[in-house]
Formats: sequence, C-alpha cells, structure tokens
Amino acid sequence: MAQDLYFEDVQVGQAMPSLTKGPVAKLQLVMYAGASGDFNPLHTDDDFAKAVGMPGVIAHGMLIMGFVGQAITDWIPRKNLKKLGVRFAGMTFPGETITVTGAVTDKRKENGSNLITCEVTAVDQNGGVKVSGSFVAALPSRG
Amino acid sequence: MADMSKIGKEYPAVIWEVERGKIREMATAIGDSNLIFRDKAAAVKEGYKDTPITPTYLTVPAMGGGNMLTLVGDLGINFAMVLHGEEEYEFLGDIYPGDVITGKCRIVNIEEKTTKKGSKMDLVTTEVLYKNQRGEDVARARTVIVERK
Repeated sequence: MAQDLYFEDVQVGQAMPSLTKGPVAKLQLVMYAGASGDFNPLHTDDDFAKAVGMPGVIAHGMLIMGFVGQAITDWIPRKNLKKLGVRFAGMTFPGETITVTGAVTDKRKENGSNLITCEVTAVDQNGGVKVSGSFVAALPSRG
Repeated sequence: MADMSKIGKEYPAVIWEVERGKIREMATAIGDSNLIFRDKAAAVKEGYKDTPITPTYLTVPAMGGGNMLTLVGDLGINFAMVLHGEEEYEFLGDIYPGDVITGKCRIVNIEEKTTKKGSKMDLVTTEVLYKNQRGEDVARARTVIVERK
C-alpha cells in the first residue's frame, strides 16, 4: 500500500517505482471481461479475433491502463490521484509481460493544491509501447 | 463514415450503483492486491470512508451500464472493429460503494483519419460527466474509440 508522499519530497525528473505485470494470460482477459462488462469477443474468442484480422485475441486496452493505475496507486495514495489520461499505442497479446514506468515532469502550487504531473508508459518485454499518458496528483505538504 | 450530424448528441443518463464486490472484482482481474480496493477496514485505516474505486473502475458504468453499446449502436459502428484510442479520467470527488452515480454520454467529436498504410478509420470522442446521488460532480470520463474500416 502506498505510503504518504509529500510534495516537498518529490522532484521534477524523479522516477516513480516501476511495476512489471504478466505474462498476460487468456484467463485474465476473461476475468477482465467479466469485471469490466466489456464482452467484445475480440478479447476472449480466438476464432472471432482471427475473423476480424487479428492473429488471435488481444487484451482490453483498459486492462493495461489498469496496470498503469496500479503502478500509480502503489506509489501514491489513491485519494491523491486527480487525473489519469492515456493513449493506447499498441495491442497487447497473451503471453506478453508489461512494465509500467513513469517520471515527474512538473510540480506546482495551484489554488491551494500541491500538484505534480507525471508521464507514464507501459511497454512489453521488447520495449514496444502499449500505453502512454500522464497523471496529476495532489500531494500533502509538510508545511 | 460515422454520421457527423451526431456530434453534440447527448444520450439518456445511465444510472449505476457502485458496489464493493465489483471494485474488488476489478482489482482481482487487474491483479492488484492493494487491500484498500478489497477490504473496507483496510481502506478506513488508510483514511477512506470505504473501499475507493480503482483508477479505471469507471469503465464499468461505461461498458456494463450500456453507454458505450448505446453509442456504438446509434452510430452504426461495427463493435467487432472497435479499438480503444484514448481514455482519460478526472476525479472531482469521492466515489464509494453505495453511491449511485449518473452519467450522460455526449459525443464531442467525430473525425475520419487515414493511416500511413492508407487504411481509413473513424475516431469518435465522447465525454461523460458523472454526478452522485447528491448531485455533486464526482468524475469526468473522456473516451476516444476507433472504428477500423
């Protein structure tokens, strides 16, 4: 669980702890379909995926964004997360291992809040980018 | 090409009750063992009123609540050819189990793009503002879906 992180202790350029997930299993895609309510068979039915031009099932992009969310809330308490936005850059296939990394790109005081912005990226075992984006967190101050 | 005249269209509100079990199910599917998403006592100890929603929980009211399927149907999009382009969440207030959140999906943009390889795709951008049972704004979701042609 994330410990409190103070605004004064975070510097621009600082890396957030990385998180490695996977390998992504087909069973996990079935579980994610049930959890999210996204039953597009592209994620759970190989025959269907092949019929629409894929080599087989692909992971829900939102599952990979979920890995990003986990990396963030392992580092920063959930209640401090104010915004999270990502672009889905590549498809994730079963068997792939995903690593989430990030770094602080900005810190500022705004309307009484102590905000940090971080860039985040999720890549596979070959460095192929799956998700890239950023998040904003409001941190407590030691002051 | 998706129907450009649908830009600005707002769909009927989806009403969604937030359940602790669904938050835990999402954490389990992701493989996130953080106890705050699983156990009320652990969450309270960390300063929450109850188990908070995971950062990507709002996909549940969007998918399970039917907003996305309504949109896809109305635009005549082939769901099998849909890929997710972008997703963004702004957390404006707390969301806990027992809360009833209401979200209206609005189409903010539709555009056609051609990839470097020459294939065409439609990009549809939607926004949903979620309010809780007290009428407070609690979250905003922005989604870009891509229909492969």
